Amino acid sequence: MADYILRRLGIGLVTLLGVAVMVFFIMRILPGDAAVMMSGAGAGAVSEKELAEVRSKLGLDRSLPVQFAEWAGKVAVFDLGTSLRTGKPVIEDIARRFPYTLQVVVMAMVIAVLVGVPMGVLSAAFPGSWGDQALRALSIVGLAAPSFWVGLILILALVWMFQWSAPLFWEPFWVSPWKSITQLFWPALAVGMRQLALIARMTRSIMLEVLGEDFIRTARAKGLSEWAVVMRHGLRNGLLPVVTLIGFEVSALFGGLIVTETVFSVPGLGQYVVTAILNRDYPAAQGIVLILAGIVVLGNLTVDLLYGALDPRTRVQAADK
Amino acid sequence: MNRNDAMQPGRASRRRVLKAGVGALAAGAAPRWSAAQTPKRGGTLRLSSGGDPPDFDVHQTATYLSQFVGAPCYSTLMRADPKDYNRLLPDLAEKTDVSADGRTVTFQLRDGVVFHNGMPLTAEDAAYSLERIRNPAKGIVSPRKGLLGNVEAIEARGPRTLVVRLSQAQPDFLFLVSNPFNVIVPKRVAEPLDAQGQGMKRQIVGTGPFRLTQAVDGQIYELTRFDKYFGPAPFLEKIQMFPIRGEVERSAALQGKRIDGCFFFPNESVLATLRKVPGMTALRRPTPTFINLIPNVQRKPFDDPRVREALSLALDRESFIKTVGPLSGAFYHSLGLMPPGSPYSLSAADIRQFGGYDTLPGLGGNLAANRARAIALLEQAGVPRGFKIVIPTRGDVPAFRDAAINIASQLKAVNLDVTVDIRDAGAFYTIETKGEFQMVVHSVAMGGSTPDQILGEGYTSYGGRNYGMWKDDALDAMYKAQSRELDAKKRGELIRQFQLAFLKTHYQINLAWVGYGAAYWNTVQGWNALPDLYANMQFGEVWLDA
Repeated sequence: MADYILRRLGIGLVTLLGVAVMVFFIMRILPGDAAVMMSGAGAGAVSEKELAEVRSKLGLDRSLPVQFAEWAGKVAVFDLGTSLRTGKPVIEDIARRFPYTLQVVVMAMVIAVLVGVPMGVLSAAFPGSWGDQALRALSIVGLAAPSFWVGLILILALVWMFQWSAPLFWEPFWVSPWKSITQLFWPALAVGMRQLALIARMTRSIMLEVLGEDFIRTARAKGLSEWAVVMRHGLRNGLLPVVTLIGFEVSALFGGLIVTETVFSVPGLGQYVVTAILNRDYPAAQGIVLILAGIVVLGNLTVDLLYGALDPRTRVQAADK
Repeated sequence: MNRNDAMQPGRASRRRVLKAGVGALAAGAAPRWSAAQTPKRGGTLRLSSGGDPPDFDVHQTATYLSQFVGAPCYSTLMRADPKDYNRLLPDLAEKTDVSADGRTVTFQLRDGVVFHNGMPLTAEDAAYSLERIRNPAKGIVSPRKGLLGNVEAIEARGPRTLVVRLSQAQPDFLFLVSNPFNVIVPKRVAEPLDAQGQGMKRQIVGTGPFRLTQAVDGQIYELTRFDKYFGPAPFLEKIQMFPIRGEVERSAALQGKRIDGCFFFPNESVLATLRKVPGMTALRRPTPTFINLIPNVQRKPFDDPRVREALSLALDRESFIKTVGPLSGAFYHSLGLMPPGSPYSLSAADIRQFGGYDTLPGLGGNLAANRARAIALLEQAGVPRGFKIVIPTRGDVPAFRDAAINIASQLKAVNLDVTVDIRDAGAFYTIETKGEFQMVVHSVAMGGSTPDQILGEGYTSYGGRNYGMWKDDALDAMYKAQSRELDAKKRGELIRQFQLAFLKTHYQINLAWVGYGAAYWNTVQGWNALPDLYANMQFGEVWLDA
């Protein structure tokens, strides 16, 4: 098992190196010039001489391999450089914002699982019922509606109905956990709607399949209650693909947050990365993409390990390899 | 000094400038409120703007995001009267004297003024600040250096006397100095930072009524009353500014009473919703921001004046205003290059001379005839039918994006194949700065509305807003002639001649002027909406009736 984990970590490191190379060069290939943005873009025409001075100051006048080598060298010692926009170390900016993003992701996933799995199970247990029909309609809406739109509708609806609007100062979780949870509930709901719908649909479809299996018929023949059949025999066996989905969707959640955080003005990584890319803040954009890639790698690893815990067959296969 | 005095022929003179200065002093000393209103002290004014300021170095930026945070913290030598945009009040300079030939301006600074870090204000600080704008150090960008292009020398004479020598007399000079971005920074703080090429991007050290006490990127910018402020003590204890990108979200925050006010609502439907909210004031104020179509004269066929005129002829300006106005706030129009309501506006007869401008609201132009003429001009210039034009634009601002889309669709009516290339801000500004475009539609925000501010920055070859990269010595000479003319009547005529000459070239094709919405709960008292997005944002006179 340790070998397996080490091997996966090794693959993860190679993946991160690939991401580092890609994000560095993609940022440079993107149309747009950091020097222009640092020269008060939109404030008026800037001469090429002034731009050259700014480029020189930022070190952008050197060759790309030299720039990459310098950046990669710093990243190797966990220094992501200094943001061109905020003037602060990128790692510091990320550290301040990451807890908000992580909390929204966790809360969104908790909401999605706590609501989506029971909905899927109930729907599968009573196929064709009005509840099942409602779930299917709801899941289509959840999948079709982008999270930022859901967020906007939520904001407008809450103002219209309760004169309630999103808070302006977001309390960190470690300062006031309950307040923080209540503040981030709506952004988490908006961003988690898609995952909720996906999980509900996936659970329903897997459960329908599982509930038709021979061992379920056997369990029923043994005289077990329907609850025990569905929950103990059905759900346990149907959970595996759902766990896989959750693993993938955690990565997708980070992507969905980019716009939703902006809608709710949550000071997380989403807003930061949008601003960094718009301003061609290379160190910030590169640093954050690298961090997000690291999270995805770790997420996938966690899912693989969970697989082992849930399904002994995968442990055996991993050990065989 | 009265802005209208300067603009009205026969009324601007050196003596009038001096008299206006004295009058302004008296006004500044007068009680600020009538007996019926009793301002209350204390409280926190919660505001929102459209995002985080890119940095705090007001000299180096042109965005309102930086200026909104900086304005309450900084002072200028003189400033616009919060109750009357056309008057200047003394700010740091308690007395201003202009020499007989109009070339030497002496500012006498107030005694006992201190910066937020406790350092006393000296003439050296004021001299360094103006020099920093006019002739910035290497690595420091100064978008408004053109405003002080007529300055020959800046000298600190003693601790409180600042002398500015102009190459020629310039009636608008005091208004240029009073531009809300032209703030005074402490030399001892700024100079070492400038030498490193950093500038004051990460700190605010001013002499204004509030000091920056908290800045959390993406969350909050908090300003606290500065107890050693040289002017009347501000009523508010704190100002909190929250960056909220979306207009709908800002509107929701306002309706949900998370904030007390917001001074940036371009979209009309958002403002219309807020107008219906009981207890809320929601208004739109015109501001010196114009939207122009700018052809790149370095690229064929836009170097041909016939092509540029054809572009202008193809446009239905009234339709543009009706369509783009509700999205971007571009509801206003003027006759000529000066803002709506300017005494230097051209007459209807004047403006009708120029192809396509008769489609401005109320002028009764014949669009079909204009477009037929545009097609003929394009043919004469050898532009083939279906000639492809790409208008790059930034996708996040309606005044750019929706304006470009509207213009593209209108230009198709004269057989041009126009498409809009929507980019993010980073890509758009790079394309524009490097001149890699055929034409752009640009919303240009000016800090002030005097002829030197509007024409100098917007319509000279060397002005900061010459995105079309045209070069015209004759026009530049005409601009300088009006800028230096002391006789107001003669100057008025020179300004008219400049506008006529510029409009004939179609270097820039004027479309509309913008007004921004402001909305606040009626508990916010003492704020007066001036016709300028940047003016009266210091909030020293604002109080909360809560």
